[in-house]
Amino acid sequence: MIRALREVEGGLRLFMTVALRMGALRRAPVRESFLRQVYFTGVTASTGVVLRASGLGALIIAFTMQVLDADTSLAVKILLWVVLREVGPLAAAMVVILRTGTAMSAELAMMRISGQTDALRSMGIESYDYLVVPRVAGVMIATAALTSYIQFLAVAGGMILSPFVIQASFTELYTQFFDLVAPVDFAYSILKSLMFGFAIALTCCYHGLNPPAFTQNGVPQAVTRAVTQSAVAVLTINAVFAYLVFGVLFFGLVKAVA
Amino acid sequence: MSALALRYDLRRDGRTPVFIEVPGGSTQRLRLPDSEAKTRLIGAVLATRVAAGEELELFGQTVRGLKRQDRARLHDRIGVLTRAMGLISNLNAWENISLQAAYHGTHPVERIARTARDALASLGADPQRFLARLPDEMDPFERKLVAFVRLLAKEPALAVIDDLGEGLNREQSARAARFEAEYRARQPEGTLLFVDLAEEGLP
Repeated sequence: MIRALREVEGGLRLFMTVALRMGALRRAPVRESFLRQVYFTGVTASTGVVLRASGLGALIIAFTMQVLDADTSLAVKILLWVVLREVGPLAAAMVVILRTGTAMSAELAMMRISGQTDALRSMGIESYDYLVVPRVAGVMIATAALTSYIQFLAVAGGMILSPFVIQASFTELYTQFFDLVAPVDFAYSILKSLMFGFAIALTCCYHGLNPPAFTQNGVPQAVTRAVTQSAVAVLTINAVFAYLVFGVLFFGLVKAVA
Repeated sequence: MSALALRYDLRRDGRTPVFIEVPGGSTQRLRLPDSEAKTRLIGAVLATRVAAGEELELFGQTVRGLKRQDRARLHDRIGVLTRAMGLISNLNAWENISLQAAYHGTHPVERIARTARDALASLGADPQRFLARLPDEMDPFERKLVAFVRLLAKEPALAVIDDLGEGLNREQSARAARFEAEYRARQPEGTLLFVDLAEEGLP
């Protein structure tokens, strides 16, 4: 219980520190680290999701129309609600947790345990500025980019591949989709994925810089905590965000049935 | 201003006191009586801070009670090569060398690149290949070389080198001995301090 409270307090402190220190991105090495993070999280991860994302869209349309015996309109609605609003950001967040979150927490825990964070301090380099700020900013941007990429591939893949496996016309799917989609759908998912990226990076940085033991055993423990807590944070944000947007704030603006 | 580059006074209960004075512009080899004294001296110089029982003056300025800006200014004039070397494992040699100066914007990157190229070439390493390597791909001498070139890039008026021969074989120690000439060639007015432990006899 005390550990949980301490982690919440540490996370909030880190949140405040990072939010106030984004200006550190002006420094050349911090900016370089930020670009490296965007490349690692956003670009190198994107190749692996191409087939999966396009297959996902086709699967949703085919399943809805064949198994549930629904018409094209309902299939496209489900594609829009499920892929664009929910699965896209969640799938991107899971890719980021599994690829980047693990690497980031392990790397930072190793640096902390081997005294490299002390070495940075002795050079007058603030470890939050150099290690945390570029990672948080980079992961936020990359998660949003990866979300857009997955959404685009899933929707385009679904519309292009579905006519090959079921009785559906591309033109009909295309027309239905653009009749239903609204800019707020994209804004909603991008804002949510930015929050996912922020929560994942912050959680992984916190656990990486505060490993439970200052021995090599501390590294896998830090990674386990970072990954499980990142997943919990993402699911919590998703639930709260969906409730606020569809239930409280914009009720009536974003409708469940368009 | 005092002609001393460093003055250090350590008083401890029941242990040999340590008193050191290093004239500016000289090269000194200090042999401290025990590892605690060495760790405390290196720690005090590295952080430009003193703990209880210690007094430290750098370039005639006592570090106790210094303001943050004065401390930072003093820190900029000092370079320390510690035993741990303090290299960042996910940065290659060039990034390790240039990180501090690039972060603080104290020295132009072109000048650091020139210093690194010249120093590495004169110490027998091929700069082109060497600078792209990660610390984990290097032997102890090469890691020490990166840390030393990083120290040179800072152009410190006082350079402190802790246990230069630590972890090196005879051939590597002979190559490391050239660090002194390399520093002196670049900082003729600078002060160079090698810190080691006094050899203790067998019990």
